[in-house]
Amino acid sequence: MTGAPEPVIELSAIRKTYTKDAAIVHALRGIDLTIKAGEFTAIMGRSGSGKSTLLHIIGLLDAEYQGSYRFNGTPVEDRSPDALAQRRNRDIGFVFQSFHLLPQLTILENAALPALYAGDRSADECREVARERLREMGLLARLDHKPMELSNGQRQRAAIARALVNAPRLLLADEPTGALDSKTADEILEIMLELHRGGATLIMVTHDREVAEVAERTIHILDGQTSNGMV
Amino acid sequence: MARRATAWFRLLLRFAVDAIVAQRGRSLLTILGMAIGTASVVGVVSIGLLGREYVVGLIEGVGSNLVFAYGTGRGVNPEEIDFDDVPAFVAAVPGIQAIAPVLRTSELVPIKGETQQVAILGVTPAYEQVRNMVVESGRFFSEREDAQGAKVCVLSEDLAIELFGSTYPPDASLRLFGLRFRIVGVFREGVESAAAVQKSEAAGLAALIPFATFRNLSDLRYVDVVYIQSATPQAVPGVVRGVTDIITARHREISNFKIESLDQYLVLAQRVSRAVTLGLIAISAVSLLVGGIGIMNIMLVTVTERTSDIGIRLALGAGQRAIMVQFLLEAAILSLVGGVLGVILGAGVPFYVGWLYGVAVPVSGLSVTVAFTVSVAVGLFFGFYPARKAASMNIVDALGYA
Ligand SMILES: Nc1ncnc2c1ncn2[C@@H]1O[C@H](COP(=O)(O)OP(=O)(O)O)[C@@H](O)[C@H]1O
Ligand SMILES: [Mg+2]
Repeated sequence: MTGAPEPVIELSAIRKTYTKDAAIVHALRGIDLTIKAGEFTAIMGRSGSGKSTLLHIIGLLDAEYQGSYRFNGTPVEDRSPDALAQRRNRDIGFVFQSFHLLPQLTILENAALPALYAGDRSADECREVARERLREMGLLARLDHKPMELSNGQRQRAAIARALVNAPRLLLADEPTGALDSKTADEILEIMLELHRGGATLIMVTHDREVAEVAERTIHILDGQTSNGMV
Repeated sequence: MARRATAWFRLLLRFAVDAIVAQRGRSLLTILGMAIGTASVVGVVSIGLLGREYVVGLIEGVGSNLVFAYGTGRGVNPEEIDFDDVPAFVAAVPGIQAIAPVLRTSELVPIKGETQQVAILGVTPAYEQVRNMVVESGRFFSEREDAQGAKVCVLSEDLAIELFGSTYPPDASLRLFGLRFRIVGVFREGVESAAAVQKSEAAGLAALIPFATFRNLSDLRYVDVVYIQSATPQAVPGVVRGVTDIITARHREISNFKIESLDQYLVLAQRVSRAVTLGLIAISAVSLLVGGIGIMNIMLVTVTERTSDIGIRLALGAGQRAIMVQFLLEAAILSLVGGVLGVILGAGVPFYVGWLYGVAVPVSGLSVTVAFTVSVAVGLFFGFYPARKAASMNIVDALGYA
């Protein structure tokens, strides 16, 4: 990893249109964006400007868009749904605003899930890795609790442990502190920044200017387009 | 690679089982629907087999390799089967194991103050075995008694009861042809079903006397019926042909006689029962179909309810294939468990009823296998559409689903 870092994400002329009851919403109107390995990019913009839509496309959750996207140097459009699932599983860790933990599973089972789906470790090994990630998140005493029994901050830390279980190179976070009080939010942000310092490529949608200050790059989205100017 | 695939499959199996257990009430109802469908298929096949076995048993009890020849023009047409035809059959037709000609007349016998008509049959000792007679008490008469024209008789159970009640006194006798016949035994027909297949000449009030004795005392020239036992069931058609040829050759063409075997009834009975069973299976398959539609219905509801669960799994990198297989497994498990319960029910009820009535109830291994296979196939077939719906969900929409 000497010299210029490789581009992880190369978006060019990305457009996304939703049609809802004959109404057409242009959620993204031509996004060009390159993100290199190890960068911390903040995405800001008003509600409804298209931030989540963009993050979903970057995270290979949404394959219905126009334009071209190279992920780790390979065009995304040529890949089958199962191939994309495998990349999501191994290369990308998601942290959502509303956690998206499975309510019927314990924290440990939730965190182990991506490793189980990856299928290259035994169930015991998967749980062992998940345990270790949860320990790092300070949840060792909560392994057998269901998400319902935890505070929002604990839930988000469990979700982060889950995102890290397959040691992905890219971390995507969509307003990860949106549902948290400010003290807990600061804890979560500190964890995310620590991960970035550890070498992870981090893309975070946020409304927090202080976070944006810390980020190496801030991308402002306005009505589905990047505006490189201020505010 | 194979180990990895197994681990993957086991993981999805665990998810499937967890989901079924989590919704146990609904799962049980779905299973019940499948169980009823499967049980009706297995039960219906058992009933069909039981019916077939009953009919076949009737026929085989009488003797499926039994051929009988009888005249149809008694009293009108003298050209019937006569005494001399019998040795001719044995001499000329291969495949005959035993032969039993029957002479027949009747007499009015005083019983308990009133006279009743009693059939008198002149038979050879072979009759006992050929006609499957069971000697209830005493004995059948011997070859020697037949050769000597001895005045002995064996009574039908009905006649013995009419005359003496439950047991007859030793040295009892009966007057026939104006002579005293010593009673040596009492018989009954070995297979009660004989009368159901064919009218028995020995039913009701009947006395059997030796063939030779009958000939000596009566001027009857024609035999009532000749029972011919072929060596094997396969030889039956040849025996029928041979006997027909001989009777035709030895009598004038106007001779009236019939030659029948139970073989033809056996084939017919089997054919009819197979057709009936197939018809019943088709009807009960409809309930299996209803069970399958029940599974599809439940799975569709489940998929909708678990939209966000599915969205999360897909987002974490479960492939469409993993989601698809998990839901197919859920459907297959529901229908397999239903199938197992159905087989237990469908086979258990006939077994229990059979045990109550002391009847051996056939449960077709084939129908059990078919019921298992079909129930799993039904689950996979009707589970396919919901599973594909789950697997091809739009992930972002599914995640946002509240
Ligand atoms: N599933 C959808 N169907 C129709 N319109 C949608 C859908 N998702 C998002 N949109 C619209 O697309 C635009 C961008 O949405 P989104 O990316 O969620 O914005 P943000 O995350 O910046 O708040 C909004 O106008 C929103 O209403
Ligand atoms: Mg958003």
